[in-house]
Amino acid sequence: MAHDLGFWVLQALNALQLSMLLFLLSIGLTVIFGLMHFVNLAHGSLYAMGAYVAASLAAVGGYWMGFFLAPVAVAGVGVLLYSGLIRRMRRAGPMAQVLVTFGLIFALLDLTRIIWGDLALAIDVPASLSGRLTLLGIEYPVYRLFIIALGVAIFATLAFVLGRTQIGAMIRAGVDNDCMAACLGINVERLFFIVFCVGCGLAGLSGAVAAPLLSVTPDMGLQILIPTLIVIVIGGLGSLRGAIAGSLIYGFVQTFGAVLAPQLASVLIYALLAAVLVIKPVGLFPAKG
Amino acid sequence: MFRHTTLRYATLALLLAGALFQALTAGYFGLEILTEILILAMLVLALDIVAGFGGMVSLCHGALMGVGAYAFTILSTSAGIAPPIAMGGAVALSGAIAWIIGAICSRSHGIYFIMATLAFGQMAYSYVFEAPIFGGDDGLSGIRRLDLSLIGLNLNDSRTFALFCLVLLGAVYGAAVLILRSGLGRSFSGVMHNEQRMRALGLTVWRVKADVFGLSGMIAGLAGTLAAQHIMYISPGLLTWTVSGEALVVVILGGLGTLVGPLVGAAAFVVLKHEISGITPYWHLAVGLILIGVVMSRSNGIFGWIEKRWGARLDRRLADATRSQDQKEVTTDA
Amino acid sequence: MKRSILAALGLATGLALPAAAEDIKVGLLLPFSGVYASLGGEIETGFNLGLADFATDAGVTFEIVREDTEVSPPVGLAKTRKLILQDEVDVLVGIVSSGVLGAVRDFVDGAGVPLIVANAGNDEATGVACSPYITRMSFSNGQVNRPMGTWMAEQGIGKVFTLAPDYAAGRQMIEAFAETYTAAGGEIVGQEYTPFQKTQDFGPYLAQASASGADAVFVFYAGGEAIAFVKQYDSFGLNETLPLYGSGFLTSPLYVNAQGEAAEGVITALHYAPTIESDANQAFVAAYVAETGRVPSEFAVQGYDAARALVEAVQSGATDRDSLANALRQVNFDGPRGALRIDPATNNVIQPIYVYETVAGENGLTQRVIAQLPAEADPVNGCVMAPVSN
Repeated sequence: MAHDLGFWVLQALNALQLSMLLFLLSIGLTVIFGLMHFVNLAHGSLYAMGAYVAASLAAVGGYWMGFFLAPVAVAGVGVLLYSGLIRRMRRAGPMAQVLVTFGLIFALLDLTRIIWGDLALAIDVPASLSGRLTLLGIEYPVYRLFIIALGVAIFATLAFVLGRTQIGAMIRAGVDNDCMAACLGINVERLFFIVFCVGCGLAGLSGAVAAPLLSVTPDMGLQILIPTLIVIVIGGLGSLRGAIAGSLIYGFVQTFGAVLAPQLASVLIYALLAAVLVIKPVGLFPAKG
Repeated sequence: MFRHTTLRYATLALLLAGALFQALTAGYFGLEILTEILILAMLVLALDIVAGFGGMVSLCHGALMGVGAYAFTILSTSAGIAPPIAMGGAVALSGAIAWIIGAICSRSHGIYFIMATLAFGQMAYSYVFEAPIFGGDDGLSGIRRLDLSLIGLNLNDSRTFALFCLVLLGAVYGAAVLILRSGLGRSFSGVMHNEQRMRALGLTVWRVKADVFGLSGMIAGLAGTLAAQHIMYISPGLLTWTVSGEALVVVILGGLGTLVGPLVGAAAFVVLKHEISGITPYWHLAVGLILIGVVMSRSNGIFGWIEKRWGARLDRRLADATRSQDQKEVTTDA
Repeated sequence: MKRSILAALGLATGLALPAAAEDIKVGLLLPFSGVYASLGGEIETGFNLGLADFATDAGVTFEIVREDTEVSPPVGLAKTRKLILQDEVDVLVGIVSSGVLGAVRDFVDGAGVPLIVANAGNDEATGVACSPYITRMSFSNGQVNRPMGTWMAEQGIGKVFTLAPDYAAGRQMIEAFAETYTAAGGEIVGQEYTPFQKTQDFGPYLAQASASGADAVFVFYAGGEAIAFVKQYDSFGLNETLPLYGSGFLTSPLYVNAQGEAAEGVITALHYAPTIESDANQAFVAAYVAETGRVPSEFAVQGYDAARALVEAVQSGATDRDSLANALRQVNFDGPRGALRIDPATNNVIQPIYVYETVAGENGLTQRVIAQLPAEADPVNGCVMAPVSN
């Protein structure tokens, strides 16, 4: 099928939108891993929880209430998880962490089912973001543009915080060498706590943002987990640059793969992941060499 | 290196006695559960060899098992090859695929290795899901069990089939111990503990990793052929990453790197799942909480906990007893 | 596991006619956990309602043993073996996923236990893999889409773009539609299959559909994917330029409210819509709403009719596995879905198909039935089995 320029612009926007959604989700996971060497497989469950909380709040107080409060609520869950479980797991080794976060996936999955039931929840795009915008000769949904803008804004904020502020310098020091950072008088433990909660909050935010676009069902967390892991592994763990690069690669490969080679769409991204790991076994932009 | 301690022998004997008792006395559902445990045990044994003794934490063992199951099915049904030869072929194929995956991924470590194996597993899943000869999502049926009537066994009987699986599991356990004690197995453990030193000693590290991963893949493939014969129907669901994830959970739950522990883990996991899913549809929650509880106990899984608590004491007591007779030392590996 | 519920529904009449009192043990095989848990719940509620409505004058006590199949063929088979060998049930009811049906088919057929399929729609189950013991009261993938192809062509829709998830059911639904649609003169201008349960963003496919020059889009999606699809379709504004048609699972009453306004105007075809105007349906809907507070979905009616079929088979004098299987193949009655009967050539249900539009109602979205398409028997599809014995 021959397509005009507008078609490709539209697809590029689709790719960008998917990338930004994944970026919101993966940045929290990758920084938590980079700093704490902690594989939080339950990150997807926190995303699902964000979507559920947002949907419940939206039913009461409108979309924006969910948008702003869901990240706070999920960050709150993060506080509980950190003080109850994660802090004690810090030195337990990766295997124990895999097991405990796998346990969390199971437990959180059923908790959402018990609280919200098996039926999908409804959440609508707010009136201010519904409709479409004409842009470069094509019509594109405002909400999707909002996701792209939000992703860029979060990226810019994080780039600024990590690159230009004192706490950013502390986090970078911690990612590089946490023992050395502790020797220099940085309270690494507190840093971990803050990063973990912010990471959870971002997972909640991406859930709230994704909810009107996708469906709010109990298994949504499990479905998003693998794409998120692929993103951070392609990009390289622990770095902002890696997360954005991995997200863009995933988004564009998925979208253009679906158009150009539909029969390969489901295999393409895995083949790419394998290829990246064969050539660069630690991903494209790892936080440390 | 892997050593048998008194406690491990005792646990093995206990497990064997339990399995035999169950196989000889249980009703139909009990036999189903037992067979499920035995096949899962074989899979987690394969995973424990690579993950527990070489640090190769694989998320593609479910897919390797699936490869075995599909290869067996295709060979024995559409290709019309005699089931025993089909079984051998399936095991060889999954071993070969595992060898290639192991070779390619040998440079990756930690989470990167996990993800690389996940990628290969998912590729296999997608391929099987979409290729028409594999029946797609609808799966394949019409699988027949091995015909052992020559030696007077009818595997279509649940009890005989369970015993057959038990015998194979015993053989696989023996093979696993032999692999780990061989030169290859020792090099493999050496690579986990200090890869650079092994390389400096002139070892071809990637070859060692690929070889053991290939052997482990063969065991996973064998488990797959048994799974296909047990259910007599296969579907792509066998290859999903959650199967591999569950196998990994069972290994860690039982006790990573103990060989005996994963067997305990398999039995515990299957029984727990069935018991709880009979009581409540929210069995995920209960199983999840139990997993968290096991980790919080800060030991290497169920068996690690048992070893920490009783292993040393048991060995010391035995050591005292033997020392009074002769001066031979008893080695411990607790 | 041993949670059997004694449905002592036939007790009252049982006392009046002690000679006829019998025990029929029913194994209910449904997913109560996993992605299909909500479907399992609907079917079970419908089934229990069906027993309550019809079993009271059957003179029989139905004892139910329920088992969770999850969405896993091995688990489903293990539970089936347990029900047949250990609990020695007389009849099995349920099965949501086609994978589970494929897994249990040989065993059920070999054991000679009647199975009333209450959802799983793969064409083979009443085609090449048919069995005199397996009767389907739900639908087949081809059956619900075939009439829609002809109907859409008759409405003057000349070119259609199709979309469905890339798995067996998706392909069967679309192929059945395409077959009758092209036979009636329509043209398929594009066809895409999206990776099953791996597609978060339908944007790329929607852009292709809108660039294809089609007059309409015909899709099959279900569950979470259906919700995401309908919402994304609407967000691109395609509803206004490119009407959306589909298999009725797209806008099932079970989750249409999660789609919200995006679902308005979508026209789909299915074997049931809760707004069918008949006394039987109104009574059923009222009873279901009283029980759950929700409008019944097609899944609920499948459970309800499965119960009714079972009761009718028992009332016709069947008492054991063989006679029940034989009687189930001859069942016919007027239910909420209209006139139903089992086609003895395939054991699939023959039922009318309803074309309905999802419209805004007083309490959320509702269904406006546009047309009732005549009931057609599925082609035999290679099904060979013994005829019904009398």
